[in-house]
Amino acid sequence: MTEETRALYDLRLGRYQAAIALEPTDRVPIAAGSNYFAEVYSGNTNQETLYDPAKWLAAEMAFVRDFPETDVLRNNRLWGPQLDAIGLRTYKLPGRDLPARDQFQFVEREYMMADEYDELIADPLAFMFERWLPRVLGEYESPGSSRSYLAFLKSGMAQSMFAQIMRNRSAQLQEVCGMPQPMTGAFVAPFDVLADTMRGLTGAIMDCFRQPEKVVAACDRLVEEMANFALSTADPLRRYPIFVPTHKACFLSPEQFDRFYWPSFKRVLEILIGAGYKVRAYLEGDWGAHWHHMLELPKGSVVCDIDNQGDIFRAKKDIGHHQCLAGGIQDSEFILGTPEGIRSRVRELCETVGEGGGFIIGGGCNIPYTTKPENYRAMIDAVLEFGVYSPDIAPRPKDTAGPIEVRAFAFPKRATPWQVKKGELGGSVPGDERLIREPWEQLEAMAYAWLWQWTM
Amino acid sequence: MTEERNEGLHPLTVALRDLDETAVNTLVEHEIDAQTPALRVVGYLNDGMVAVGRLFAEDEYFISQLIFSAEIFRGVMARLAPLLGGADPGEGGGKVVVGTVKGDIHDIGKNIVVTLLRGSGFEVVDVGVDVPAERFVEAVRESGAKVVGLSALLNFTYPEMKHVVDTFVAAGLRDQVSIIVGGSPVNEQVREFAGADHYAEDAVTGVDICASIYR
Repeated sequence: MTEETRALYDLRLGRYQAAIALEPTDRVPIAAGSNYFAEVYSGNTNQETLYDPAKWLAAEMAFVRDFPETDVLRNNRLWGPQLDAIGLRTYKLPGRDLPARDQFQFVEREYMMADEYDELIADPLAFMFERWLPRVLGEYESPGSSRSYLAFLKSGMAQSMFAQIMRNRSAQLQEVCGMPQPMTGAFVAPFDVLADTMRGLTGAIMDCFRQPEKVVAACDRLVEEMANFALSTADPLRRYPIFVPTHKACFLSPEQFDRFYWPSFKRVLEILIGAGYKVRAYLEGDWGAHWHHMLELPKGSVVCDIDNQGDIFRAKKDIGHHQCLAGGIQDSEFILGTPEGIRSRVRELCETVGEGGGFIIGGGCNIPYTTKPENYRAMIDAVLEFGVYSPDIAPRPKDTAGPIEVRAFAFPKRATPWQVKKGELGGSVPGDERLIREPWEQLEAMAYAWLWQWTM
Repeated sequence: MTEERNEGLHPLTVALRDLDETAVNTLVEHEIDAQTPALRVVGYLNDGMVAVGRLFAEDEYFISQLIFSAEIFRGVMARLAPLLGGADPGEGGGKVVVGTVKGDIHDIGKNIVVTLLRGSGFEVVDVGVDVPAERFVEAVRESGAKVVGLSALLNFTYPEMKHVVDTFVAAGLRDQVSIIVGGSPVNEQVREFAGADHYAEDAVTGVDICASIYR
């Protein structure tokens, strides 16, 4: 990395981290977490983003060259070949199921039945293998078949390949473009595990009315699983926040949110914050009735992305003094609006939501694929005009590295813990046990995380 | 719920409004046993759905309660269907064509609107998800509906919404239908771009617009 690129990386990351921590910085960061526009700006199809890592990276590098004021891009969580290897049914992919230029879409179905809560709560791993995975993974539809064994093998290999792709992408963006990541690692709120990929929204809502205790117990049981998954996928250096898209909170009444959504979600957040991480939460839909709960978490610990339906000005009054807010520009304004319209919106945002810091500009949880380039440019120009706090401040990244201490989990996060394996080996090994135990545990942890990613 | 609020309402209407699923089911069985005409029972349920919509409009109910009321309604309508003797409870009510536009497979919002409309006595032609413009036109031709509702979750569907409106123009039917757009990325700016007649901020607003068109 050249010195110039290093300085640019430090500046961008420092600015981003300062906004998250509600600390003074030089200007409002241009840091939407899901910059879809960057992926297709160069003319790439959405299929190429998901299937051709070299083209994906090249597209984003072209974007950074044309819009160098952008502070972060998007990390994709999906790689087409990995989903194909296992036959994941929860997504329709461009180029495979949809026209190549369409965006991927989530397929919500009832993948868990209303009477299966007890099985999930008693033994999530057994529940997954016996009930849920055969419904969610097409290649595992007939467990025990040669095809299903090979599919697991292929998907495990694909997982390593995908990790390598992401490492390479992150390193290239950092070293060639001086570009940090908006977030690394992800999870979903326990209630969303149920309402997205298990029961679906309608099923989960029926359950809230018909068997509320089961819903609460299942959410409780999923707390550690989500925390473990988030930590296994997070940035080991803690430079970047962990991502959580909150999908179904916006459908709930405040009483339901307080009972079914928040307690377990808060516990996951507390574990991650306790481990030294920040979290970037997409508050999808209108969270106006719920976001006051963010005041219960440490100041500057959760970036709250306000969606199109949310009132970011009200969010500023309600929680903006305690958590960083992101968003402010309607999707329709990027797609249909004019540079003049964007300029006046950015000015309004910088003068109100941006006041005193703790504000990241962008769309409602994204920059749309079909954004007009002149509108994106107008947003940048307006930030440089109205969003400068103090040109004398030179933001620097925080020192976030250091050992991670995570409270021990009550439930094992391994299918076969080392103690079991060691017992099978006769209770002791003649050589250096550590040389055997550590890779065993590492592979167990990776396989365990592999299982839970299908709930995303 | 206060006594005052229940005044003049049938117990079935009250039970549905209050989302008391067990009571709704029991009361429907009671009406069936008493040989109350099925259409009249549907009428009590319609009043309940309208009351739920009103509570939503007053911010007392949230979407989850709309969804639950819709499920209760669907459940008892399935129970009543054989007793209706082929009569369509929506017949005589306004007709509405509803679908998610081409390119988008999301159906949560669309389904809430469909059930609320049915619950409010409308005859609904649900054309599904990922619906091509021509299908909306065809459904209007077949049903004679005066209202078309376009739903979407994804923001890249704005041009498709406009395309649907333009297809109605090309088919010579634009003057005969009111087109409503709704869904999370939709707002007044999108309505204007698409050339639609109304933007519905939520499902209940959409039902109210349909009611005003047919009034």
